[in-house]
This record gives sequence, C-alpha cells and structure tokens, in this order.
Amino acid sequence: MMQPVYISAASALSPQHSFGTDAPLQPVMSSDNGRLYVQDADYSKFINPVAIRRMSRMLKIGISTGMDCLRQSGIEKPDGIITGTGRGSMRDMEIFLGDMLRLKEEALNPTYFIQSTYNSINGWLALQTKCTGYNQTYVHRGHSLEMALLDAQLLLNETTDKQHYLVGSFDEFTDEYFVVKNKIGYWKQPTPHSLDLYKHNDTPGSIGGEGSAFFMVTNEKENALFSIAALQMLQDYTPAEVDATITRILEENKILLRDVDVILCGMSGDSRFDGIYKPLFNNTTVHTTVGAFKHLCGEYDTSTGFALWLAAQAFKTQQVPDAIIQKKGINPSVKTVLIVNHYILNSASVMLLRANS
Amino acid sequence: MEDLKVTLKQQIIESLNLQGMKPEDIDDNAPLFGEGLGLDSIDSLEMMVLLERNYGIKIEDAREGRKVLQSVASMAEYIQQHRKI
Repeated sequence: MMQPVYISAASALSPQHSFGTDAPLQPVMSSDNGRLYVQDADYSKFINPVAIRRMSRMLKIGISTGMDCLRQSGIEKPDGIITGTGRGSMRDMEIFLGDMLRLKEEALNPTYFIQSTYNSINGWLALQTKCTGYNQTYVHRGHSLEMALLDAQLLLNETTDKQHYLVGSFDEFTDEYFVVKNKIGYWKQPTPHSLDLYKHNDTPGSIGGEGSAFFMVTNEKENALFSIAALQMLQDYTPAEVDATITRILEENKILLRDVDVILCGMSGDSRFDGIYKPLFNNTTVHTTVGAFKHLCGEYDTSTGFALWLAAQAFKTQQVPDAIIQKKGINPSVKTVLIVNHYILNSASVMLLRANS
Repeated sequence: MEDLKVTLKQQIIESLNLQGMKPEDIDDNAPLFGEGLGLDSIDSLEMMVLLERNYGIKIEDAREGRKVLQSVASMAEYIQQHRKI
C-alpha cells in the first residue's frame, strides 16, 4: 500500500476570486452564457517582462499559478515539476492551425507552435526556477491531474529523502472550443445561469470552464496542510463501481462515512453522468457536508484541481464556503475530505484527503 | 526609405508584441539583439517570418540573416534591394 503524500501549498487561478486574496469566492462570480473564464491576475508579478510579451493567456495563467504555489511553499527550486492538462494551450493551437490554412503552410509564426505544445508551461517553470529535475506533463483527458498526482506519489514513495514536487494542472476555454464541443452535446441547451446549473440536472450537457491549480506535494509532514491518503481513478465506470470504490477506500483507511466532514462532488448538471453522486447524497448522514463546485468553475478536464484547492482552503480555514454547500452537515471541523469527480467520456476519480495531525 | 523604416518598426512592434513601444522609440541603427531592443532567438525567427509575409523575402543563409537583422536600418536596406511584394 502506498504511503500518503502531503500538500504544503496550494494556488489556483479560476473563474472565482481564488488568487492572491484573503477572501476567496467573494463575491461569487457567475455567468449566463454557458462559459466561465478565469479571473485574470497581475501576471507581471510572476513572469519576467521580456518573456511575458510573447506568452499566451494560458501560459501566463499556468506559470503564475505555479510560481505563486512555489512562493507560498517557500521552496525556490522543487525536485521536479509534474503537470496535467486535457487541452494544453488551446488558443495558441487554434491560431497556429488557422494560420496553416490561411497561409497555405508558409511563413508560420514559431511562437504559437512552441507555446501550443502541452509541456510549454512545465518548460517555462523549469527555466524560471532553474529546476533541472524530473519534468513531466500528462495529457490524459479527465485523468490528467490525477496522473500527475499519482506520479508524484510514486516518486515520493520511492525515496527516503525529503523531496518536493510542484504538481499542477491547467486548461483553457475558447470560443472555438465551445462551438466545436457544442456539436457533440457537451453544453446545456438552453444555457442556464451558472449558479442554477443543478436545477437543470434532468437534461444532458453542462457549462464550460477553465482554470489552473498548483500544489506543492511532498513527503515532509511538517507544515503540511493535509495529506492525500488515497487516490483512485476509474475508466468506463458504473455508478455502483464508484460507490464500491468509495466504500473500499474508506474501509482501507478505517474511516466511517459519518466521519467524512466534507464531500466535494463534481456534479456537472448533466443527466447522463450525475447518477454517480446520488448514493453520496442518499448515504451520507447529518454529519457530512456535501458540496459541489462545477457551478463555480465550469466543466473541464482538470476541474479536480479547483476541487483540491477548495479542499486546501477548507483545511486551512476550517470552514466550508456557503457557495459550494448542497447539503450542510453538523461535523464541527474539517479533518477529512472526499473528492469525487467525473469527466465526460467516462473517467472518474476518488480522492481521500486528511488533515495533517 | 524613411517611410519604409517607420513601417518596419511598426511591423516589428506588432509582430513581437513590444507593448508600450512606439516606432520613434527604436533607433534606426541600434542593435536589435542583446544590448539594443534585447530581442532573442525566437524573435529572430519571428522577424524572418515578418520579412517573408510582408516583403516576400526568404533568407535561407543564417550568416546573411544575422547581417540583415542587425538593425532596422540594415533590414530596410535589404528589403529595398530584395523585396518581391
């Protein structure tokens, strides 16, 4: 059995106020056009001015989140950088492919091509931190961030040295992506207001979103915010399999469901997928708070990152923001959090988090 | 020639996204790389693309490219002699 790993810092740029603020999720941001975009930050604080002029929005978002996480953790140079992304820098790719058609594959700008590669954020973070250690980007759709976390867990389980890995995720939403994915039923019709997403859970589709989240993952327990006690990915699952996985994880960690203080559900309001969350609502007792997060960040491949950041905030402040609560529990503190998330195309994940005690 | 230099400076600013910079901020004879504008190797690729798209000039010899991209003045002179568009 794998040893747990610890999270000592968390940073997120999201459609909510989540970055560089003492009052996260205040005020709650929403939209009525089916799209939730990241709240931009002052990226020039994190990226040198010569480099920033050439960077796309996705690069600025990803690099700034990673650098902010490093700053919070007090680690200048991590032992490695591991990320996950479902789509990489979409806008750069769209511009490059558009130019290929428009200019008949002649005189193409190199910058868009260079930046559209999935690992460009990792590369920039490595350059900025002078980190020549392990550097990996996972592009595994709805399991991208989970794979990055698992990789860090495996690396940390193989060593007795104290090590720190910068692990993160980033995904970008574009108008073009909205149009393309609309053709295959990704988005709800008619478009609901984002905060009313779950009122429309009897129809297929969701709302689109984007975001970036970075975490300092370490085997050093001291000063950690919480640990990842278990991480399980499921592909082509049934709701019963997800339920059985949750039961097994709780049993292996000797935790009763009533002792789970918060469950963060990745409900997307999509009638085709939200069935996996029903047992969580039905089986939880008055003790557990059940929350949801996709009405705040939208649906995207690595939305687990936003949920993990929310969990970090809950551990840090010992409070669960009203904006995420779907069913309020009576447990007075936040010691155990369960994240259950799914993504279109039948991938799901379950993550058990425990306060550092 | 003077008009070409101003147009070229504008194209460089747009192509390289030199925010907050105006054509008059760029000295005709100042080096584009290193101490001058502080451009780098990716910028040089972008400028090769600029020459090809806007003036039909394709520079395939790296040594020649280095000479041409020394300054706005050297670029303008080369464009005047070799432009196809």
